[in-house]
Amino acid sequence: MRIWNLVLKEFIQLFRDWLMTTFILTLPALQLVLLAQATNSRISNLCVVALDLDHSTASRQLITALDNRSEITVCYHPAALADTHRLLDQGEATLAVVIPSGFASDLADISRTPSVQFIADGSNNVPASIALSGAQKAISAFAKETWVFGPDLAPTIDLRTNVRFNPEFDIRFYSIPAQVGFIIYQVTLTVASIGLARERELGTLEQLMVIPLGRIELVIGKAIPALVVGAINSLFMLAVAVFFFGVPLRGSLPLLFVLTLLFIATEIGYGILISSIAHTQHQAILFVFVLAMVDIAFSGYLVRIKNLPVALQAIAQIVPLHHYLTIIRGVMLKGAGLDALWPHAAAILLIGLLVTTVAVRNLSRSLD
Amino acid sequence: MSIPRLLAIARKEFRHITRDARTVFLVTVAPAFLLLTLSYIFSLDVNRVDIAVRDLDRTPLSRALLASLTADGDMVIVARVEQEKEIESLFAREIADLMLVIPHGFADATLKDAPAEMLCTVDGADAIAASQTIGLLESRVNEWGANLRVQRTNSAIGGFDVSSRAWYNESLKSLISMVPGMMAIILCMPALALALALAREIETGSFESLIATPTQGVEYLLGKLLAYEISGMVSVILAWLVATLWFRVPFRGNFFSFLLLAADYMIASMGISLVIASFVRNQQTAMFLILMVFFVPSFFIAGLITPVSDEPITRAIALGLPTTHFITICRSIFLKGLGPSALWKPALTLLGSGIATQALSLALFKKKLA
Repeated sequence: MRIWNLVLKEFIQLFRDWLMTTFILTLPALQLVLLAQATNSRISNLCVVALDLDHSTASRQLITALDNRSEITVCYHPAALADTHRLLDQGEATLAVVIPSGFASDLADISRTPSVQFIADGSNNVPASIALSGAQKAISAFAKETWVFGPDLAPTIDLRTNVRFNPEFDIRFYSIPAQVGFIIYQVTLTVASIGLARERELGTLEQLMVIPLGRIELVIGKAIPALVVGAINSLFMLAVAVFFFGVPLRGSLPLLFVLTLLFIATEIGYGILISSIAHTQHQAILFVFVLAMVDIAFSGYLVRIKNLPVALQAIAQIVPLHHYLTIIRGVMLKGAGLDALWPHAAAILLIGLLVTTVAVRNLSRSLD
Repeated sequence: MSIPRLLAIARKEFRHITRDARTVFLVTVAPAFLLLTLSYIFSLDVNRVDIAVRDLDRTPLSRALLASLTADGDMVIVARVEQEKEIESLFAREIADLMLVIPHGFADATLKDAPAEMLCTVDGADAIAASQTIGLLESRVNEWGANLRVQRTNSAIGGFDVSSRAWYNESLKSLISMVPGMMAIILCMPALALALALAREIETGSFESLIATPTQGVEYLLGKLLAYEISGMVSVILAWLVATLWFRVPFRGNFFSFLLLAADYMIASMGISLVIASFVRNQQTAMFLILMVFFVPSFFIAGLITPVSDEPITRAIALGLPTTHFITICRSIFLKGLGPSALWKPALTLLGSGIATQALSLALFKKKLA
């Protein structure tokens, strides 16, 4: 019963600031809409400068072949090399294609090999690689069609590829569940980490200590509001992902919800740990910020865990966000159940127990 | 406005920052520390493909194919699958990226020059990784097949002479393009600290006593701004040292114009935090808003990894974020060696938005005092 009074106090405190309440309940879903909208389903129409020094039918055909690729669009046709350089310098174009003069005659001569030059703006390597590989494919397609003296390119092996879970290669199927995970993470950590630091800073922690409450009761009382806010948010965002953006939910919703609660509880444990270390809210917030950056880095979203060196892979194993993202992808896209995902669920549970224990112990020390 | 009062506020703010070692660390060193950690994660250009194999052919030829696929360690066989069903849990736990099935009679067909069939099932959840995986597999398999044919028929292979070059980052290393971009993101931290400092004074009530002093609103805001701008510049220099000395990212531009534009970015990003701070009443809300409105969108839509979207609303939001412009500035100065003359557009945008947001926050602030 005593706990419930504390929970009630926490809720009153949370909802008294209506600005914060509105933000905390609506911004996550809005942000998901914005981020998902911002992620195109594929990277397309990267701008290409085509410098045609040959002015022949063949060179124009090649430019059309480049333009036909979905990843790139030929948007500049400069007359001189200097313009090409300027466009790359200013970041107006991702790739420049130079077709030298004599291209058409090389193409028609059995003893010669036609040549083409690509220059990519490597200052951002991701679009640069995509544009380069698109242009390579355009060249192959062009060669197959128009180069009569080209080598026999018929494949020896007929590789049949079958893409599971996402046959349309929609990037959003990967990014939206990950963003749901990130947003749940942010909200719970923010709400949970500040609670105690705020009481300490405002001096109300003293009052809380004279109340006949055990420290575990105190932690539970602090944790419940954050858990409720996190749970509401997660259901809301899952609905946006499924109904608004058409991300499939192939597995069991109750399973996903239970594992989400487990994840939220673990993050609350982290929050309380931070709360017990920091002296002021200011510090708590900056700690959260640093932790969040590290966790996002190790979440496996931006860089896949298996590409990390072994030592960093080990760190990723203790980041709950990494396990949760595997779970949410597994349940939503792959229809996986607990029989396949139990190692990740168990990892979250273990980390959660460990962190919460340390937090409670640390709390009792900082209270003394 | 009196300059001595403004400086007094700045001095008071410095004392707040330097009083506690933890705060000093978080305001100045943490951005450099984050740059170090995050860049390590991004610096890895290895792209390992884990494959599960179901070899029904079991001939020397099928083993030779597998051996050649895995020869350089980019592709690794992580499981031998007896039944197709097993792949489900390998995909769910993300242990394997693809399953390769070599059917019965693979070797016979290959040697008879009838195209031999081979099946590959890919985990498509991550579309970008899946298409890279398929590309890698296709090129390896085709190369192997072509070599086999060359060995048997003595025909030559050749193709178009394509010379590809990447400027500014010759080997297209992620590290080189990520570190300058990442700097823009981690340098949001000083702005976050400023918003929190403002919210703290309102929350703990010390703001009341400041109002009672002859300090004016402008002096108060500019004083705070000065203190955080200076500590922000310390973190800019630390981050620059990490980027150039530790990661050896080429710095082809001019250091002073970089410092100048970084200060410009600080003004713009702190403008946003001033506006946010002027209508929140506690630090929790301030932090939440900064994360949601400024920091997370910066990570995803400001052009750090994928280029800024063409979709009009997203584009407008992205161009409204100072981070988008500073990512361009950092990459241009570090990698392209451009000077202020080529960067006047993002520089003026930052300055303009900084002045506009700070004027707005001042107006909001006066209203709050009244």
